Amino acid sequence: MKKTTLNNIITCGMVLVLFIVCGFLSSAGVLGSKLSGLLIPIGIYIILSISLNLTVGILGELSLGHAGFMCVGAYVGGVFSILVQDVVTVSWLRITLAIIVGGIAAAIFGILIGIPVLRLRGDYLAIVTLGFGEIIKSISNNIYLVKDVNGLHFSFASPVSGTDAATAVDIFKGAQGIKAPQDTTLLIVVIVLMISLIVIMNLVDSKTGRACMAIRDNYIAAQSVGINVTKYRLVAFVVSAAIAGVAGVLYSHSLAVLAPKKFDYNLSILILVFVVLGGLGSMRGSIIATIVLYALPEIFREVGDYRMLIYAIVLIAMMIFKNAPYFKDLFEKFKALPVFDKFRSKNKVKAVGGESK
Amino acid sequence: MSEAAPMLEIKNLAIQFGGLKAVDNLNLTIKKNQLYGLIGPNGAGKTTVFNMLTGVYKPTAGTIYLDGENITGKSPAQINKHGIARTFQNIRLFKDMSVLDNVKVGLHNQKKYTAIEGVLRLPRYFREEKEMDEKALELLRVFELDSEKDTLSSNLPYGKQRKLEIARALATNPKLLLLDEPAAGMNPNETAELMDNIRFIIEKFDMTVLLIEHDMKLVSGICEEVTVLNFGQELAQGITTNVLNDPKVITAYLGE
Ligand SMILES: Nc1ncnc2c1ncn2[C@@H]1O[C@H](COP(=O)(O)OP(=O)(O)OP(=O)(O)O)[C@@H](O)[C@H]1O
Ligand SMILES: [Mg+2]
Repeated sequence: MKKTTLNNIITCGMVLVLFIVCGFLSSAGVLGSKLSGLLIPIGIYIILSISLNLTVGILGELSLGHAGFMCVGAYVGGVFSILVQDVVTVSWLRITLAIIVGGIAAAIFGILIGIPVLRLRGDYLAIVTLGFGEIIKSISNNIYLVKDVNGLHFSFASPVSGTDAATAVDIFKGAQGIKAPQDTTLLIVVIVLMISLIVIMNLVDSKTGRACMAIRDNYIAAQSVGINVTKYRLVAFVVSAAIAGVAGVLYSHSLAVLAPKKFDYNLSILILVFVVLGGLGSMRGSIIATIVLYALPEIFREVGDYRMLIYAIVLIAMMIFKNAPYFKDLFEKFKALPVFDKFRSKNKVKAVGGESK
Repeated sequence: MSEAAPMLEIKNLAIQFGGLKAVDNLNLTIKKNQLYGLIGPNGAGKTTVFNMLTGVYKPTAGTIYLDGENITGKSPAQINKHGIARTFQNIRLFKDMSVLDNVKVGLHNQKKYTAIEGVLRLPRYFREEKEMDEKALELLRVFELDSEKDTLSSNLPYGKQRKLEIARALATNPKLLLLDEPAAGMNPNETAELMDNIRFIIEKFDMTVLLIEHDMKLVSGICEEVTVLNFGQELAQGITTNVLNDPKVITAYLGE
């Protein structure tokens, strides 16, 4: 088997085992309600960071507005669920439909931004996505959507005029956001996470992924071997946006109320921090960084003010451990220790055997 | 059978950067399977000619025909699909990708499976990936790089990086190969190997090569014909030995 394939299977297995074990522990009551409550958000954040890693790590484009795509998915999917609540009563079916609708909506925004921007060479994407994230948040802050007997009423100002007061129901209430049905379960999060992970890893390990990495490594050389750079930049960016949208749908269906101010600049940066610290281009790294950096501040909430101090120390330590040549050498030496010889030779024999078949 | 069109025909090619005429009124014809040299002092405009041939720069005047087809003004990717591949004076490998993957990127347009087939791992993905692996290894073997297929390309020594660039260019299945100072930074041993490689490529892959080189010995050793550029202008053109003995050329190289 190819080394990349094996590595990808290990990554998938790691995530699956982790969530299954935690899922059982939490249903058995061992994990405690606070830790159990972290599982769903962690799963959602992992989806966000692996999708951002596709843009930042594989395509090599800086995106500062990942929360914007999440926001589009969250609200489009959320409003969809609220509207079909009475028609589609099976919650797993409702969220599946919402995921499709929200993902497509985020993909459309990805295309709208990507087509003009990705044709240009340079760091324009960072600036435009930064603006996009803020604009989407501001627009969401001012959306008012009301449903009554006559249908839907939309306005950028409150109160929405022309509604039938007796039957009017608020769907989207500006800065207060939406109240989507709470359809997100841990099982659904894990299924979506696994699908996203497999889609991204398979995409990376294919012609498309190689084309993206070639563009990242050398734009001119990629063109010189006949790669349509605009096309592949757009494909990777839109897939990344769509998956962020899907994460948004899960998010909006996991909270009682979702206000637009959640999707601010800090959220985009937080996800970017997960990706950068986990290692650009490494999905496994993104997953580990997300788990560690998301869970830590929550777990240490009791220590109060020291929480952010510990967080900062962990951030710094991760950066040092990842990049310092001294630690890299140390790690290489550690791997070269005679203790591991047996393991190494075994591996080799296996690999040779596999090839001869 | 009538006389085939030349592989490359350049007519009155010119480009201007601001006030600087980097290349002016260049005419050049290369026949199929020829190994043609483009030489000249530093800053003469050689690389600029390559950049026009491959669509990186748009010429201000003139036309370029590849195998009878007008390719002037097309984009770099389109020109590669028409059949021109190149290497770069300052090596441009995909540095964070393996040696094998660098060549597989070159094979990109030869294989047709779509992104969706790749994600869903449909049979065509496996079949075509296997074909790509085999083809890429075959190309690496020409340059004795097959044993280093899993090495990160940026970890290769300089001489091998240059060879990998040629392998990647060949992977695109070109009609015409442009090599920009392929022997730069190589020791005499490596240079000799490289010359063998180039001769081998021309025969085995039915290739036509246009080569920029500073090393006069090397040029006179393998190029049948050359064009000498000086300050963007053609200084001399023709059979290599004649041209290199031309007093004009000697003065241009030694300075007046
Ligand atoms: N994009 C550009 N903008 C402005 N001037 C340029 C550009 N590209 C090349 N030139 C100029 O054109 C001239 C020819 O450059 P070119 O790189 O083609 O030379 P060369 O013959 O390849 O030299 P060398 O042997 O040093 O590689 C130089 O004076 C260079 O400064
Ligand atoms: Mg040059």
